[in-house]
Amino acid sequence: MSWKKVISVLFTLLVFSAAAIIVRMLWVHYMDSPWTRDGRVRADVVNIAPDVSGLVVEMLVRDNQQVKKGDLLMRVDPDHYHLAVKQAEAEVAQQKSVMVMREDDARRRLDMDELVVSREARENSRHAVAEAQAAYRMALAKLDATRLNLARTEVRAPVDGYITNLETFEGDFAERGKAVMALVDSHSYYVYGYFEETRLPLISIGDKADLRLMSGERLTGTVDSIARGIYDRSNPQSRDLIADVNPTFNWVRLAQRIPVRIHLDDVPENVMLSAGLTCTITIKSSVDPATAPKPDRW
Amino acid sequence: MPLPREIDLLGIYMPTVTLLFLVTLAIGWGIDRVIAWFGLYTYAWHPILLRVSLFTCFYGVVALYFYQ
Repeated sequence: MSWKKVISVLFTLLVFSAAAIIVRMLWVHYMDSPWTRDGRVRADVVNIAPDVSGLVVEMLVRDNQQVKKGDLLMRVDPDHYHLAVKQAEAEVAQQKSVMVMREDDARRRLDMDELVVSREARENSRHAVAEAQAAYRMALAKLDATRLNLARTEVRAPVDGYITNLETFEGDFAERGKAVMALVDSHSYYVYGYFEETRLPLISIGDKADLRLMSGERLTGTVDSIARGIYDRSNPQSRDLIADVNPTFNWVRLAQRIPVRIHLDDVPENVMLSAGLTCTITIKSSVDPATAPKPDRW
Repeated sequence: MPLPREIDLLGIYMPTVTLLFLVTLAIGWGIDRVIAWFGLYTYAWHPILLRVSLFTCFYGVVALYFYQ
């Protein structure tokens, strides 16, 4: 074998091993840097439910309309509640006259001496006054409650935001406590990044994050918190109080994805956010990759 | 230079490395032709292995540069 041959073999093998090392570096870099394409924009969605039941007589918002905190959203038929207020006012008047009558009775009996009115009758009249006073206070409280119900026929926005997927219309019957519309809080947008568990050691709270929406807009954010629990899919539900363990294949295991909550630092005016948008998240890790724990890879 | 992590290719969102692969494939083929024109492959032990390895090195270095 000539020297020329040996050198050509060595050179080829050298280039080949360099290629192998570079591919491994690329793979490790791709797998061990904290980034994910599985990010979603989210927001707090308030389910608006009327505090009183009744027909919807007026709908003051359109679908997707922006509303401010305290804006009137819809009106439930107030007629029943007006009548209830009148009824309660009449009851107050009634209880009041009963109370005045008993007080007068009691005063009269108190003025007479024991020969005319027995001590028992006098004490009873005093207690009758106390009872009438309590009934009067109860009637007053009932009146306040009916007035509160009347006020609650006007459903107002609890936060600034956008009405979404409005499916309630004038003439529908709104039930107390049952949500009739969704209000997306416009100050509450944040991003959930679903990071593989192998990348989690590289993420710490307070790290800066680069976000890129699918449509290309760039945003910046800060890691707010990391979820401390996800559902165990191997054991979805125990039946008959015993575990229902999924018999998984031994060789292949997928890394679970843990939600990382990212606070949006500032959203440019021209970027329109909707809860549910997809985004790519790259986190500027503050952890030294050399010391961070990582899975064994060959 | 930070590249976007994914790129829209005919409506399909692909990782940028796939696009980078196509680009380096074209450039790598050019380099490969130049080396072949100078007749340097005749000195190689296994020309095909050498060519594949050279391309892999080129692609890996480019990808690492953009993804740092």
